[in-house]
Amino acid sequence: MKKRRLLQITGVFFALMICFTILSRAAYQEGTAVVHTNKPMNMAISHEVKAAGKVVQNQKIAVTTEADLRVASVEIAEGQRVSRGDLLFTLDQNWLREKILNQQQEMEKQQLSVKDAKSQNEVSRQQKANEQAQAAENYSLSTGRANTVLARAKRNLEEAKKRLREFRENSGQSNEDSSVETALEEACQEKAEAYIQAQQELTQLQWKIENEVNIALNAAMNGTGGAGLSAAETVLTGSADVLPLEDDADGNFLIEENDPGEALFFDTPEGAGENGSGTAADSFPAETQGYIDEEPSDPSLQEDDPGLIIEDDILLEDMPDDTDSYGIDRTGTADLETEESEQGETPASPTQEELNRIEQSVRDRYKIPLENARKKVETAKEEKEAAEQALAQYQQERLSASSASNAQTEQTLIDQVKAAQDAYVDACLAANEAAVTSGRSIAAAGIPNASNSSDRMNEITYEQMELTLEKLEELERAQGKIYAPADGLVTKVCIQTGEKTGDTTAILLADLSRGSSFQGEITEEQEKYIGTGDAVTLTGPGKNEKYEDLAVSSVTAKEGSSSVYQVKVQLPADTMEIGAAATLDFVRKSEIYNVCVPLSALHLDEKNQPYVLVVDQVDSVMGTEQKARKVSVTILEKNESYAALAEGAISSQQEIIVSSDKAVDDGSRVRVSG
Amino acid sequence: MKKIGGAVMVTVLGILALIVVFPIFFAVTGAITSQWELEEYLSPVLGNADGMAGWSLLPRAPSLRSLVGILMDSPQFFAMFWNSLKITLCVLAGQVIVGIPAAWGLARFQFPGRGLVLMLYIVLMLMPFQVLMFPEYLVLNDLGLLDTHAAVILPAVFSTFPVFIMYRFFEAIPEAILEAARMDGAGNFQIFLRIGLPLGAPGVMSSVILNFLDSWNMIEQPMTFLKTKALWPLSLFLPEIGLEEAGTGFAAAILMLLPALLLFLSGQEYLEQGIAAAALKE
Repeated sequence: MKKRRLLQITGVFFALMICFTILSRAAYQEGTAVVHTNKPMNMAISHEVKAAGKVVQNQKIAVTTEADLRVASVEIAEGQRVSRGDLLFTLDQNWLREKILNQQQEMEKQQLSVKDAKSQNEVSRQQKANEQAQAAENYSLSTGRANTVLARAKRNLEEAKKRLREFRENSGQSNEDSSVETALEEACQEKAEAYIQAQQELTQLQWKIENEVNIALNAAMNGTGGAGLSAAETVLTGSADVLPLEDDADGNFLIEENDPGEALFFDTPEGAGENGSGTAADSFPAETQGYIDEEPSDPSLQEDDPGLIIEDDILLEDMPDDTDSYGIDRTGTADLETEESEQGETPASPTQEELNRIEQSVRDRYKIPLENARKKVETAKEEKEAAEQALAQYQQERLSASSASNAQTEQTLIDQVKAAQDAYVDACLAANEAAVTSGRSIAAAGIPNASNSSDRMNEITYEQMELTLEKLEELERAQGKIYAPADGLVTKVCIQTGEKTGDTTAILLADLSRGSSFQGEITEEQEKYIGTGDAVTLTGPGKNEKYEDLAVSSVTAKEGSSSVYQVKVQLPADTMEIGAAATLDFVRKSEIYNVCVPLSALHLDEKNQPYVLVVDQVDSVMGTEQKARKVSVTILEKNESYAALAEGAISSQQEIIVSSDKAVDDGSRVRVSG
Repeated sequence: MKKIGGAVMVTVLGILALIVVFPIFFAVTGAITSQWELEEYLSPVLGNADGMAGWSLLPRAPSLRSLVGILMDSPQFFAMFWNSLKITLCVLAGQVIVGIPAAWGLARFQFPGRGLVLMLYIVLMLMPFQVLMFPEYLVLNDLGLLDTHAAVILPAVFSTFPVFIMYRFFEAIPEAILEAARMDGAGNFQIFLRIGLPLGAPGVMSSVILNFLDSWNMIEQPMTFLKTKALWPLSLFLPEIGLEEAGTGFAAAILMLLPALLLFLSGQEYLEQGIAAAALKE
């Protein structure tokens, strides 16, 4: 290749190298960010709190009047200043007079209602007393009659026995035969007595069950303030349908320790059942009491009569404390009435389903005792019949051994004795039943009527009407004019001319005598820097309205919002008008920090950790270059403009990049602008 | 027979030539190969991959990105390029100014101790840089020349190798020519300037070419005496490049090769003469 050609090529090569040198440097510089830097500053971080708000009164006065009165005229407007005694509004006097007249008429009607209610209560009371007296009288009559029949049957029995005894003595029967028959007769007698007692016990248990059901239902009803069960409902119903009871694991029946059923049992007053003398009201206590037929009306037949089948020991007072004659454990705790009364609450009115449930629960408690009583009655009856059959059989044998005429006579006497015995047993049962039935009636009549407070309520209503009338008359005397009670500023007018007044505020006044205060709202972030007692500056709407060094009264969270706070500043007298808008300014400065940078110098990396970029001089092929270097920092405090950083990460002489014309990362080339 | 022998010779030499040229071919293909392909081939060597490195005669995905990157986006390359050029030209200029008179004096003048000086030159020429590095460092430090281009240029200017090359050529000038010139009234300087230099020009050119290659590729002296990266020559650019910039490295190697290639093509005959002279013994 010719040298000249080679020289040309060499020249072109170097020319190209020069061009590319320039181009590459231009491209290189194009990628260099121009940055502005600052050195860390030594300063305090100030937090400015700025809040807009308005001036409000410290106290409001509500001017009210009676409701449902027509407004004739309104003399003031919102924003108007009034003095004490200034006329606010006037009520229509004609309407007022009509209202007074209506009120008076209503009061008269109410008074009549009060009289009626009292009269009704009195009548009810008298009726109740009458019912009780009648029930007591019926009880006396029925038990007297039953006792008479019983005494007669007993006499007949004794006579029949006596005749039989005499006949046998006269017919020369052996003592041995007599003693055997006597023993059989005594056995019959015992079995009959046992049967009667069992029957009585069964009857008493049935009545007790009904009584407890009655008590439980009454308690449920009375707990709602209801009138309670009617007299008809208190009659023991469903006694024939008593269901079997269940007991607990120990075979005890859980009933209350102080069985209110006991309150329903009472001793027959002396002489009350004999001839029915004495008033029922005098003989029986006010509360209902039960009955235990344990003494016949004829005292002569009472004490030594072995045939007396109604015994003392059926009195519940003689029962052991923890059991009754039915073996029912009284130490249980299931007591709906006690629980409800101890709670001291007034339950809601029970439904029929609940009442049924209550009744069922009471009946369930006595299921097994009732069954046992019935079994006892059946067993006693079978035994009585067996003893009678044994006696009859013996008597038949004896009769067959004696002569025909004697046997016939003796058989007749025996039949008479048996008939008299049966009549006596029937008389005992009838007497018991009569006593029980009459006792139920007394218990039913003794149930008090439901409380009736209507008369007192009517009285209260009348008193309230009186107060209202007084107020209306006072308004009439004032000619329907309503005056301002104190100096103030009208903030709200809730009434209109021609409209009726309501039961709420008519006019709302700001009480000027109590002063005013500024109320503004700040954010949760601002709340950290301002507190009670801080001196703030308030700027009003006017040019020269600026008040400094006013103390913050309170900073409280706004109701319904956890991120908004209300600032209150008490204003001195005669500063700003109520309702005027104002602005609160407050600056809180922190301590002096040695390393403070503008917020624009702070960045967050991918882990949300703050960092700054500092400028480092780096030696490179292109000479000394400036590059950005990332330095992680810890922010101590910051406001809207500056942030204070913890010392150690950067020095006070380092240049920190605060702004740039391109995105700058760690390692990026930068050029610091002048 | 001769033809066959000639053909064989040509073949053998051709193969050897290909083997010698292969690195250049390697660099050229590497400059136009995509980065991902380069990483695939060279990661066993330059990266952490297992296996053997590979190469392809023709790249599967040729790309000019590396060339464009080195030309347009690497001002550091050009900075180093001009540093290399500056150092080389200064060295050559100094060698010409200092070495030519030294070689003429040793070749044409008989003075006491000439043999000793010549022996000293040869000994110093044979010493590697590692032996002279520490003394040079101390001297340059005392002179305050460390971390400047003078620290690289001055020791190269006073190198003995160019003197040795030129000495041979000056010695080969027949004495009769110089005697004739002397008889015509020429002085020593005129003889040197009008006869010695023209007749010794091939030696000077060969010295310049050989020392250009030596200075252009100098790496140890800059690495030792130059701390500031802005003073580094192009020979230190390539060691900075890794697997991630392999294409850029190959492109830089091609560009670095071009000045030397151009100079070689310009002074090929002088280079052959210089190499022959270096090996020739009287």
